[in-house]
Amino acid sequence: MAERTLDAIQVRAERRQRRRIPFDKILLTLFFVIMAIGFVFPLYWMVISSLRPGGRIFVDAFELFPSQLSLDSYHSLFTEEPFGRWIINSILQTGGFALTALFLSTTAGYALAKFKFRGRNLLFTLIIVSQMIPFHLLIVSLFLMIIQLGLVENYFGAIIPIAASPIGLFFVRQYMLSIDDEMLNAARVDGANEYQIFFSIVLPNARPAIATLFILFSLEYWNNLLWPLIVFRQADNMPLAVGINRLINQYQQSYDLVMAGSTLATLPIIILFLFLRRQVMEGIAATGTGMK
Amino acid sequence: MIRSVSSILNHKKVVPFVFLLPFLIIFLVFKVYPVILAVLMSFQNFQGLQNQQWVGLTNYQNVFRLVRFSQALTNTTVYTVGTLLVLIPLPLILAVLLNSRRVFQSTLFRTLLFLPALTSLVVAGTVFRLILAENGFLNLFLSSTFGIQPPPRWLEVADLALPSLILVATWRWTGINILYFNSGLVNIPRELYEAAIIDGASPFQMFWRITLPLLRPTTLFVVVLSIIGGYQVFVEPFILYRGGGGPGDGGLTMALLIYRTAFTSSNFGTAAAMGVILAAIIFVFSLIQFRFFGVFSKED
Repeated sequence: MAERTLDAIQVRAERRQRRRIPFDKILLTLFFVIMAIGFVFPLYWMVISSLRPGGRIFVDAFELFPSQLSLDSYHSLFTEEPFGRWIINSILQTGGFALTALFLSTTAGYALAKFKFRGRNLLFTLIIVSQMIPFHLLIVSLFLMIIQLGLVENYFGAIIPIAASPIGLFFVRQYMLSIDDEMLNAARVDGANEYQIFFSIVLPNARPAIATLFILFSLEYWNNLLWPLIVFRQADNMPLAVGINRLINQYQQSYDLVMAGSTLATLPIIILFLFLRRQVMEGIAATGTGMK
Repeated sequence: MIRSVSSILNHKKVVPFVFLLPFLIIFLVFKVYPVILAVLMSFQNFQGLQNQQWVGLTNYQNVFRLVRFSQALTNTTVYTVGTLLVLIPLPLILAVLLNSRRVFQSTLFRTLLFLPALTSLVVAGTVFRLILAENGFLNLFLSSTFGIQPPPRWLEVADLALPSLILVATWRWTGINILYFNSGLVNIPRELYEAAIIDGASPFQMFWRITLPLLRPTTLFVVVLSIIGGYQVFVEPFILYRGGGGPGDGGLTMALLIYRTAFTSSNFGTAAAMGVILAAIIFVFSLIQFRFFGVFSKED
């Protein structure tokens, strides 16, 4: 009998708690709904402004849901500017950069993770420390170098000088440390040479790290402005970021055109992100860099 | 012959260097060498690209005499401090709340707040040029909701340049910093909080006595990262002010000045000297980071 009362009290207490918690939970959630609206709004505004008829961007600025829609700005992007070329350039350059940077970080990361040799730790330290060299120290000398090497307006000039990524190397090395040495030694005993081991055992085992890094490298180049801005001056060779910068200077008053370009540069990334959300967010948290 | 090449390539002492070689070549040619070259250039005067002569410390003297340089240095420092004042406490509190199990759908909110980080800084710049315009959305909102008249001219007044830039930074980086703080938070053992609840601690006490102290390494890491990033800020003012320094150079940053000195004024020696000074500033802050964290223990 006493036990049953105790049970009843407990049940009632729990029920009260269950009813009580949701209230501050709802309040806090509401707070985050407002925050989220604030953070997503500029993106919404970008898309909406790109769809407003040219002259109405500021006139209709108070229409949160525009009454008049138009695709004119998108049309003139492709007819008045080589926007199609910019998309293709961005895709090719981004792919080239991500693959090159990936190749460099996986090979070197493997060497630093799985082999012992003189000067290894010193080398690793030097590479990591080089991460703090501001790129603006290098722009002048790198610019002179690519002029001398004939790499201005050239994909290689845009990709190679920035392809050795200390952070990528750090990330791969940390991951490869966890690959079992026994497995590699067993393959050696079976007569596999070192390069077979790398391609058929190490790389497949590091697949999650490689996939994450490929995404982060792609995001990095796709969004990069400074170095491509220096390498490419001709409109036909520009990637999207540089092209949009050109739009801003070319069409100072035509915000609709700039917004259309920005939308087309951003939406594919956001859509891809929805599928790769975990990898991107965990990857960024793990590499400790907001990719610039 | 082929046999011997392959036996050399598979020799225990050679293998690691074969794997290192591609990275190392690019690293030496495009990172180490340009740094040395930049330092040498900072002691040279350039007449065009080919013609240079040694001028000793003249470039540095010129830089420090330049009014625009001290303004850029001040602007960049104020900007960096400003971003620290926003981008440490705000994401920290948001991360703690999202991690407290007192918010429905916390992963969804973490994702939504992260979305701005996916945009390129160019796009962030263009969007805020539109929103901050004199008759743009922000001013419409301010005047209609709070009755602020006349609305501030964000992009045309020197004193509003840095607040505008800090606003863009807040939008762009809050979500990423939440991720950093979150990965620090999940490493704090739950038992500590359970014990504190049994001892009758309030949520506020738990935040001050458990969360903040145990989050210290993460916080320091984010602080140093923000300082290093803040001193290099370039794309945001470059886009907001179309390559210039903004009204009265109110948005002129060090990196912007270096870019303009090199590519608008073709003053390569002076630009290199400014680059060395910027590197020195960042080097000092990085040393502080290494002092606190050790070189490799970034995450703990």
